[in-house]
Amino acid sequence: MFGEEELVKIHKDRATLISYIITAAFGLVLARLWYLQVYKGDILHNYSLQNRLRKEVVWAPRGFIYSRDDQLIVDNIPRFDAILTPQFLIDHEVTIGKLAKILGMEVKSIEAILKKNSNQAKYRPIIIKKNISFDELAQIESQNADLPGISVDTFISREYKDKEIGAHLLGYISEISQSQLPKLRERDRMDYRLGDFIGQFGIEEQLDRFLRGENGHEFVEVDARGRRKRYINSDNLFQGIEEEKPVSGMNVKLTIDRDMQIAAYNALEEKVGGVIAIDIDSGEVLAMVSRPSFDPSQFSRGLTPEYWRSLVLNKENPLRDRNIQEHFSPGSTFKAITGIAAFEEGQINERTEVFCDGSFKFGSKTFHCWKKEGHGATNLVKAVRESCNVYFQKAANRMDIDDIAKYAKGFGMGARTGISLPREVAGLIPTKEWKKKRYGQDWQGGETLSCAIGQSYVLASTIQLATAYGAIANGGKIFRPYVVKDIYDHHGELVKTFTPELLSEVKMKNPKTLKFIREGLFQVVNNPKGTAFFRRGQGILMAGKTGTSQVKSASADKVYQKCENMDYNSRHHGLFVGFAPYDNPKIAAAAIVEHGCHGSSAATPVVEAVITKYMQKYHPELYLKNLDRDKEIKDEWVKSLRQQAKTTTSESNE
Amino acid sequence: MNQTIMQFLKRYDFSFIGNMAVIFIFGVLNLYSATHSQSNEGLDSLYKSQIMWFFLSVSVAFIISFLSPKTIERIAYLAYAFTLFLVLLVLLMGKVGMGAQRWLVLGPIRMQPSEFMKMGLVLALARYFTRVNPEVQLGFRDLIIPGLITFIPAVMVIVQPDLGTGLLLLFIFSMMIFYKRLKWKTIGTLGALAIVSGVLMYNYGLKEYQRKRIHTFIDPYQDARGSGYNAIQSEIAIGSGQLFGKGFKNSSQASLNYLPENHTDFVFAIYNEEHGFFGSIVLIALYLIFFMRLVWLASSVQKFFDSVLVIGIMAIFFWHTFINMAMVSGLLPIVGIPLPLMSYGGSSMLTFGVGVGIATSVANSKSFFN
Repeated sequence: MFGEEELVKIHKDRATLISYIITAAFGLVLARLWYLQVYKGDILHNYSLQNRLRKEVVWAPRGFIYSRDDQLIVDNIPRFDAILTPQFLIDHEVTIGKLAKILGMEVKSIEAILKKNSNQAKYRPIIIKKNISFDELAQIESQNADLPGISVDTFISREYKDKEIGAHLLGYISEISQSQLPKLRERDRMDYRLGDFIGQFGIEEQLDRFLRGENGHEFVEVDARGRRKRYINSDNLFQGIEEEKPVSGMNVKLTIDRDMQIAAYNALEEKVGGVIAIDIDSGEVLAMVSRPSFDPSQFSRGLTPEYWRSLVLNKENPLRDRNIQEHFSPGSTFKAITGIAAFEEGQINERTEVFCDGSFKFGSKTFHCWKKEGHGATNLVKAVRESCNVYFQKAANRMDIDDIAKYAKGFGMGARTGISLPREVAGLIPTKEWKKKRYGQDWQGGETLSCAIGQSYVLASTIQLATAYGAIANGGKIFRPYVVKDIYDHHGELVKTFTPELLSEVKMKNPKTLKFIREGLFQVVNNPKGTAFFRRGQGILMAGKTGTSQVKSASADKVYQKCENMDYNSRHHGLFVGFAPYDNPKIAAAAIVEHGCHGSSAATPVVEAVITKYMQKYHPELYLKNLDRDKEIKDEWVKSLRQQAKTTTSESNE
Repeated sequence: MNQTIMQFLKRYDFSFIGNMAVIFIFGVLNLYSATHSQSNEGLDSLYKSQIMWFFLSVSVAFIISFLSPKTIERIAYLAYAFTLFLVLLVLLMGKVGMGAQRWLVLGPIRMQPSEFMKMGLVLALARYFTRVNPEVQLGFRDLIIPGLITFIPAVMVIVQPDLGTGLLLLFIFSMMIFYKRLKWKTIGTLGALAIVSGVLMYNYGLKEYQRKRIHTFIDPYQDARGSGYNAIQSEIAIGSGQLFGKGFKNSSQASLNYLPENHTDFVFAIYNEEHGFFGSIVLIALYLIFFMRLVWLASSVQKFFDSVLVIGIMAIFFWHTFINMAMVSGLLPIVGIPLPLMSYGGSSMLTFGVGVGIATSVANSKSFFN
């Protein structure tokens, strides 16, 4: 029997054989290296000197973006950059001098660009001027022989047809920066390179993997002047090497309507704010505009420092989407929710009357109604119509904040809608538990009264308001808002289609609840006493609610101060949320105008403009019919005015 | 106290760690040279993390060197099972990197379990062979169980798909059974079988890109899809180095970015371009010393487990080194096998540290016995 040591010994011959194998293997490698480096060394060394064949990326054309009615809204167009390849510069000063003249630049600034890029490899072209004109292009091309190292690079630029309109929604593409590179590589597991373009905002970001396509590569030969030639099979070493064609990105069709976008943008004028319109039976977002805005084309062209500065220094932050990335107190628009809660909980019904004398005392605190002299005897419909604070506060006083929160959350508030766009905010619907967690304090009854009229802790975004009012209109169905309808590949084949997603449904215990809330909302716009009567538009038969969102809580003596007299930053935000047509609802829309003072004057016309465009375009027959209805309403009002005038005159005559 | 330390230092075998350090210095300088001009690609600081990995790996080597070979033998199967589990995990939930699922992500750490699988396999085989009747030469029947031990992870790695590493496992297995006195007759039959299954595999088992690489290998100049580009540029890089090379940081192929992946699979080409044929002789000699030391250690230890284990470790690094050098210089198709200590990569470096640690442990146990 062998001991272990013996065992090792009988394997010695195999160990010796293994050492021979190893030696032979490396002998083989050395022989190969000798063949390459010594036998063929001269030839290959020459190749390396002349090696101007390079594998270059061919960028895949990015997918187009269309509106719901097939209008092209994001396109690709070629642009030209003047580039310089240091490797091929012969007479530095002469060439730079000539180039400066052509491009209308100073020699100094060109030198500065070169210096900034001096640490990179000499073969790498440096962009001297982006987006050169056709004249400059022609001059460079014609003087090519005198400008060694200078050439023109063609580049496909992203073009947003409507510039600032809907920029937040569409987003932009821009170059991956040094600091983003590792993060993005990690995130997408893609071998990104510095300077690759990638969607960084909005749809461009969210659908980047569909839009971007697959880059190909080609082999280009660079001649001694730095010009690129397509490779020709003349050199036997590289015979047969072929390029790989890029695959175009996919095309995206949005739920957005271009004409409504334009109408929304124009209606917002120079105001600061946002508007969103949603199809209430699907959640399709029809329009979504935020102002101030920015021109996304600028990003894909290489942002100029001036433009970037103008965006960053703008106090109003043009890069923020006011519809999903910002929340605010919903103000009186929240009263519809409070009303629904109280009605459903059986605390009020359509006959419940509350007397409003202009204020409501709760403990030591006095809550003022916006109307100093009070609304008098008020029922639900009147309370909604005239936006009576006291009514809703008294109703809320019979409930618990958690009751109101239950309905608010049921209508989609206090949580992200989950629209497929980045950086959505959640809003806030407070509960007792939330306050305990957040502040470690118990809920105060007075806070319920503030929350009941959409102030205090309550926060919502326009997308949430539009969704909630859409649900009021459609009977309680909450659809997830979405902006992308279909994705097609570049052959036009449908790749992916998005369908409505029912998030939840509020089951109404009392069939009368929504009926009377809707009636109130209708009167807001269509009853002469309604808060938005004078901004109701025509032919849309809208129902809705105005609101003001207090920016700073006003002290008692300032409650009735005229908003327009305050300094700009203290002015209230104006809000309006509505749906239309009242008797056959199809669309819901919400608008906020920051520091616009009143919902009625600032925000209602914006919603009205968007809905009008919608009705005219998609339901012209209803639009015409409702024009007649509007006329009747107007005639009635005029008649009542005459009547009133008559009575007043006859009274004064007496 | 001081004396015991001195005594310990005298008996501690530093040769493997020392050898590792010398090759690493070549490696990191070369890596720096290959990537210094690629700040644009974000690669120019890779050498720093490579240094970090080196120190981590050396620490691991030191720690392992203090385990006795007996302990290593005891945990051999456990280590195998654990690495197998990791490979399985990567199959189930691994993230996609470069079209293949090779990475396992645990918080900030990214691992390539197939790298560790090699060490697990070697441990398990070494442990298994201590149980086999030592006197007879191995025949077919004796290969069933070690074959299973090898093929299960090999198949799992190949479907990741990482053909290179999968084949590597088979090569390691081959060298270990060769050492364990496989009958010549069996070797002949297995060789024939390998050729047949290779042909079948090529026709039915390979992914398109893998097949492309073999095409490229057979005739890089006639490649229709452009993947011959790497092979040609690599040969140009090597050849243009001639006898003495272009000098440190002077690789035009690398800095002009003609050669892709020049920080991982193609570092050897850059090294050759900059240091020429003589530079390569020095580098290959360093590897050769390392491997010969291991073979010599294997044939001079008392315990059979230790001996097979050391041969296995040697096999891992030998095959890496040889296959990488051969593929870069155009002797073998491009399969994506890194060059130990020269290519960038943490998992591979760590495996090397573990191997060196085990070898040192075995070497130390020998000197402590005497």
